[in-house]
Amino acid sequence: MQYETNQPGDRDMTQYKKTAIAGAICAMLSLPASAEVRIGVVIPDSGPSSLFGPASRNVALMAAEDINASGGINGEQVRLFFADVGVPPAQSAQAAVRLWRGEDIDGFAGMHNSAVREALIGQFRGQVPFVYSGVYEGGECAPGTWVTATTPAQQLAPVIPWLVENEGVSRWYMIGNDYNWPRDTNDAARSMIAATGGEIVGEEYVPLGSSDFDASLQRIQASGADAVFITLVGGDSVAFNIGFGAFGLDEQAIRFGTLIEENTLAGIGAAGANRLYSSLGYFANIETEPAKAFAARYASEFGEDASALNALSQSVYDGIMLLAALGNAAGSMDVEAIAKVADGTGYQSPRGKPVLSGTHADQTIYLADGTGAEFTVVAQFDNVEHGVSCE
Amino acid sequence: MDQLFLILLNASWQMAALALLALGLAIVFGLLRILNMAHGEFVMLGAYSHVITAQFGLPPLMALPVCIVVVGLVALLIERAVVRHFYNRMFDSLLATWALSILMREFVEMIWGRAYRNVPLPVEGMIKLGGVGYPTYRLMVIAFVVIGLAMLWLWYRNSLTGVRIRAVVSNPALARAVGINTTRFAAAAYVIGCVLAGLSGLLLAPMLGVEPSMGLDALIRSFFALVVGGLGTLEGLGIGAAVIGGVQAGLSAALNQTAGYLGVLVLAVIFLWRRPDGLYRRR
Repeated sequence: MQYETNQPGDRDMTQYKKTAIAGAICAMLSLPASAEVRIGVVIPDSGPSSLFGPASRNVALMAAEDINASGGINGEQVRLFFADVGVPPAQSAQAAVRLWRGEDIDGFAGMHNSAVREALIGQFRGQVPFVYSGVYEGGECAPGTWVTATTPAQQLAPVIPWLVENEGVSRWYMIGNDYNWPRDTNDAARSMIAATGGEIVGEEYVPLGSSDFDASLQRIQASGADAVFITLVGGDSVAFNIGFGAFGLDEQAIRFGTLIEENTLAGIGAAGANRLYSSLGYFANIETEPAKAFAARYASEFGEDASALNALSQSVYDGIMLLAALGNAAGSMDVEAIAKVADGTGYQSPRGKPVLSGTHADQTIYLADGTGAEFTVVAQFDNVEHGVSCE
Repeated sequence: MDQLFLILLNASWQMAALALLALGLAIVFGLLRILNMAHGEFVMLGAYSHVITAQFGLPPLMALPVCIVVVGLVALLIERAVVRHFYNRMFDSLLATWALSILMREFVEMIWGRAYRNVPLPVEGMIKLGGVGYPTYRLMVIAFVVIGLAMLWLWYRNSLTGVRIRAVVSNPALARAVGINTTRFAAAAYVIGCVLAGLSGLLLAPMLGVEPSMGLDALIRSFFALVVGGLGTLEGLGIGAAVIGGVQAGLSAALNQTAGYLGVLVLAVIFLWRRPDGLYRRR
């Protein structure tokens, strides 16, 4: 019936609407790329740290959802572009630059090792804002770079006195892999241990990729240490801690590490995890409301079998949220404009309420006990200062 | 005194673990003249049989048959599809098995991901030997390796099959002429070598943890032991494992792990350069 009426006025109206819609579509198609904020996410998809890649990617998507749900950056929606930086530093830098130039990236955020970070910064040269997240040795002061990564000062300063008080330890043995993060972390630990009246009864560094720790375990036993500070990473940490448990050294000494996350603990297993402490900015089972909501949402969006949440992967969420907060505070993604307003900027995180102080974030640090191969948070320290001075 | 005894126990463990790891590589090379670069991945696959067993809710002891079946089938498939085309082509076989190793690693990563997995010790606790406590499981593995290798050696020297194997190795054409099926023999040798690699992964997993890239370390260490001892004989395997394991454990205890590792590397380089046949020469 309707079609038969066919009045001239109706027809004009329909025609007008069609034209308007067509015009709108054309306008949308021809929009310049800058109508969205294009964020480059630089995380490892290959190499040894690719273990953290899948979860990093998942939380990056969550960050983009959250930013867009609350109005994007300066009213523009964000869109993520990924580059694999699990490859050697020079190749990683190439991949990032290709993304930067090819996709017209407005800002970068990501988690990777320090060698890769330095290579990226060498290419960015402060021309594009960059947020580095994860766990690192501190000291990054390059222009245009902001850091949510936790530093040795943060992970150690509140924790060492806590362990001394609650576990009554005083004889420390330090063991780490032989590169700058363990050495710098131990440098920071040394004075803090001394400040508690403790002494260091041994210190050693093993090559990356070691699987035989018998000699180290024997030295630890002979040293009479009652606390072992571990800066071994990945499979090395797994093998060391399994051996530690097998030799019954967990009765002699507590262990404390600053890079023992959920995957490492799963590899160590219950028999090797007795009295093994870890301090990080995030654990998957932190009992605060924001953290529980974050973990529940992660499970519902990516399934119960999704790659496990951990401090390194989760940090990518924080990095992207800080980048958005900086862009919003400055009113643009211009490095100069951001640098003027960065100090004091806060950002949303399941970790707590981190706030930039200078270029690094002061944030909450959690101490967890891994006994039973399941982390239990035993202490929470709020607003821990990062201790990095860029003057 | 106790400290010295502990060093000796650690060295024994190193030697036993190394002999166990390298046995499969020695057999495949000794009998087929193929340097099986996928050896480490068979070790890794053997370690993952714990994971498979747990996944299907089977009792932990079932890991042994699971390991033999899974590793055996994969090895048979690979021998039929790839390796058999490379007999008597040593360099090509090295490249082909290297490619296989990458494929196997990626495949395992695809199924189980890169995550570290823990295998609980089948036997917990320690045994007191004099004043020194040593993990019971390690002592059991050491005993198993010593007894197992001794029995293998006796069997190889004295059984009819041992004679046949030696016949095929020293003169394949003549062996074929007297009616030995050398094609089947080769397939069996490859599968047995790989299953032994898998069993070493199965036994060592509780001390190491399990992850997809664990095979590389196993391959390199096995290779060093065989280079020093002599590629392709049981005697060479024993001597090589003893020297490499001893040097690594000794230097690590006396100095540090870096020195231990460096010592092993230097030794391997010297042997490859000055004495490529190793300490034990085939007679």
